Amino acid sequence: MDTLASLLHTSPAIAWMAVKIVIVFGGIFTLAAVFTWVERRGSAMIQDRIGPNRAALFGRIRIIGLQQLLADGLKFLFKEDLAPTDANKGLFWLAPFLAFVPAMLGFAVIPFGRSFVSGGTTYHLSVLDPGNGMGMLYPLAIGGMAVYGVLVAAWSSNNKWSILGGMRASAAMVSYEIGMSLAVVALFMTTGGYDPKDIIAAQGYLPWHWNVVPHFLGFIVFFTCMFAETNRLPFDFAEGESEIVAGFNTEYGSMKFSLLALAEYGHMMTASALIATLYFGGWQVPFVQNPTVALSITSFVLKLVFFAWVFVWIRWTLPRFRYDQLMHLGWKVMLPMSMVNLVFHAWRMSQGH
Amino acid sequence: MFLAFALITLLGALGMLLQKNIIVAGLFMVAAFFGIAGLFVLLANPVAAALQIIVYSGAIMVLVLFVIMMLNSHEEEAAEFSRPIQRWLSLALVLALAVGAVKLVMASKGVQELAVRGAATSPAVTLQGVGAVLFADHLLGFEVAGLMLLAAMVGAVALTKRNL
Amino acid sequence: MGVIVKKVELTWLDRTYVWPVMKGMGITFRHFIRQLFTRTSKRYTVQYPEMKRVMPAGYRGLHELKRFEDGAIKCVACFMCAEACPARCISIEAEEFSDLNITQGFEEKRPQVFKIDMLRCIYCGMCEEACPKDAIWLRNDYEVAAYDRLSMQYGKWDLMNTYAEADGKARITEDTTPTVPRRAITPPIAS
Repeated sequence: MDTLASLLHTSPAIAWMAVKIVIVFGGIFTLAAVFTWVERRGSAMIQDRIGPNRAALFGRIRIIGLQQLLADGLKFLFKEDLAPTDANKGLFWLAPFLAFVPAMLGFAVIPFGRSFVSGGTTYHLSVLDPGNGMGMLYPLAIGGMAVYGVLVAAWSSNNKWSILGGMRASAAMVSYEIGMSLAVVALFMTTGGYDPKDIIAAQGYLPWHWNVVPHFLGFIVFFTCMFAETNRLPFDFAEGESEIVAGFNTEYGSMKFSLLALAEYGHMMTASALIATLYFGGWQVPFVQNPTVALSITSFVLKLVFFAWVFVWIRWTLPRFRYDQLMHLGWKVMLPMSMVNLVFHAWRMSQGH
Repeated sequence: MFLAFALITLLGALGMLLQKNIIVAGLFMVAAFFGIAGLFVLLANPVAAALQIIVYSGAIMVLVLFVIMMLNSHEEEAAEFSRPIQRWLSLALVLALAVGAVKLVMASKGVQELAVRGAATSPAVTLQGVGAVLFADHLLGFEVAGLMLLAAMVGAVALTKRNL
Repeated sequence: MGVIVKKVELTWLDRTYVWPVMKGMGITFRHFIRQLFTRTSKRYTVQYPEMKRVMPAGYRGLHELKRFEDGAIKCVACFMCAEACPARCISIEAEEFSDLNITQGFEEKRPQVFKIDMLRCIYCGMCEEACPKDAIWLRNDYEVAAYDRLSMQYGKWDLMNTYAEADGKARITEDTTPTVPRRAITPPIAS
């Protein structure tokens, strides 16, 4: 680290920060891009099809179709960039960034590996070091900002289907955020802290001590709300391609559409990282008390990829809800469930557990 | 840093006032909230910043924009005739308010103590601290606020539902 | 006429919604695993350029103009196919052929030009039905495509050679002179 710092003429702390940022955002970006392919290939497999397997480098080298990413990216880059005549041009351009930036930012506080000490300094494997005071509130806050991408994209398109999609998305997101926050509050209570480091440390290395066991109700609520937050299939009212054309991104094409799509997958990554951190012990390796750094990172990445795959899996299993069913589920099922969870844990803590 | 966030806040607020398009104005307001959240972080109060973003930009502004979109009025109508007196009056009022606010802040105890002690950085506020303050020191106020909000919610439902 | 909709009574477990979701996920995962571990040749999807679908007997694909064993065309230019064609894609110009060493028993007419516009052809098989001589067949080749319109105009020699490779026959590019009469004047005595 010191050599890198001297190469860049900065302090080791800043160099370490830069390295972390590159690793995390590069990693998330790549994973999100790979998951666009996993989504297509996985959905194909689930439906007894084959999926995109033909893209090849120089016309011959084919690695199970992974180059589809490159092909898609190139195609998106070179497509004509259209904006509707009556659209609000500034906002129309701004919207993909408003969607993409929160999707990438939300990951910042999540530790993706065990902290280690080297040369007298402790290195934390998360972009924002623990103890920043923001803790788990930060991803929630950023997640709340995510709706603006959809909303602005929807409104600036000046298209009735888009506006319908945007309004559905915003209503759904607001109503699901409450249940989700209450589920997380119960976690904060039992942990006694709200920093991801504390939450992970409190869960320990035994899988039956992970939060998913005592907080099973909360886990179901949080998991469901994550689907609503990421606007993915059982709750993809923003898009709803069978009802409102393509919802908020009806008018988007080329790289702008690509950014919107990548934002969705970025959200998926952040959401699965959150699930892994909050309920499945983050970087903790099952049955290994003090894992090495590499092992802990592998464990975290495996958990992340698994939950991202569950997102894909659920998408191709369940049909979309009706809008009133969504609201019913959000307000009359999820909210009471997380309330019950909260009260139960409060009662349990008052009993001295 | 302070200058950047202050500029974001002020420009956001100014944009909100001057913008004719309601939704763009709403987005400017979100930008202003963001700037305020940044200022909170600089004041070593990340909890307030997070809550600012979650509650104001994440929930309230979304609802406001939602309602605006529902009503679907894109452009504000221009005033039929301008009254220059209004403009000057408003300017004078704003100036008076600003001067008064600055004077008040400068005259307050905290600032004077700060001038004496120098700017010692206080420890960052944590969620635990906020909770302790809310439920131990200001329990009555907290409960009253909760009750008021509940009453307001019931009232809103009663107003909108014609036959309960 | 009302339709009585049967209400399905859901069990307690089904009403939780979580259990049915798990069951559904089980089904999709079974499909996923099954598809993942099936060899490409066993999958439903035909990987086209490498694998080709074997067409069933009676498939109506690209046409072939049939020939006799000595290579002479079977078509007698009677225009029945051109008449029958609903897409009007067949155009024939007939010619007399007068290599009449052995006059009798020879068809005296054959197409000089026999063109099918494959862009217009709808592969309905009416020409095959109409042909009195079984001279035009629609067979199993379905890869009829080209980069320009002109190469989709199949002429007489193209049509006679469409299945030459598949059948192991020689390609022919000109009318052969028949040596034996096609049909005896008197029908052969059944032995």
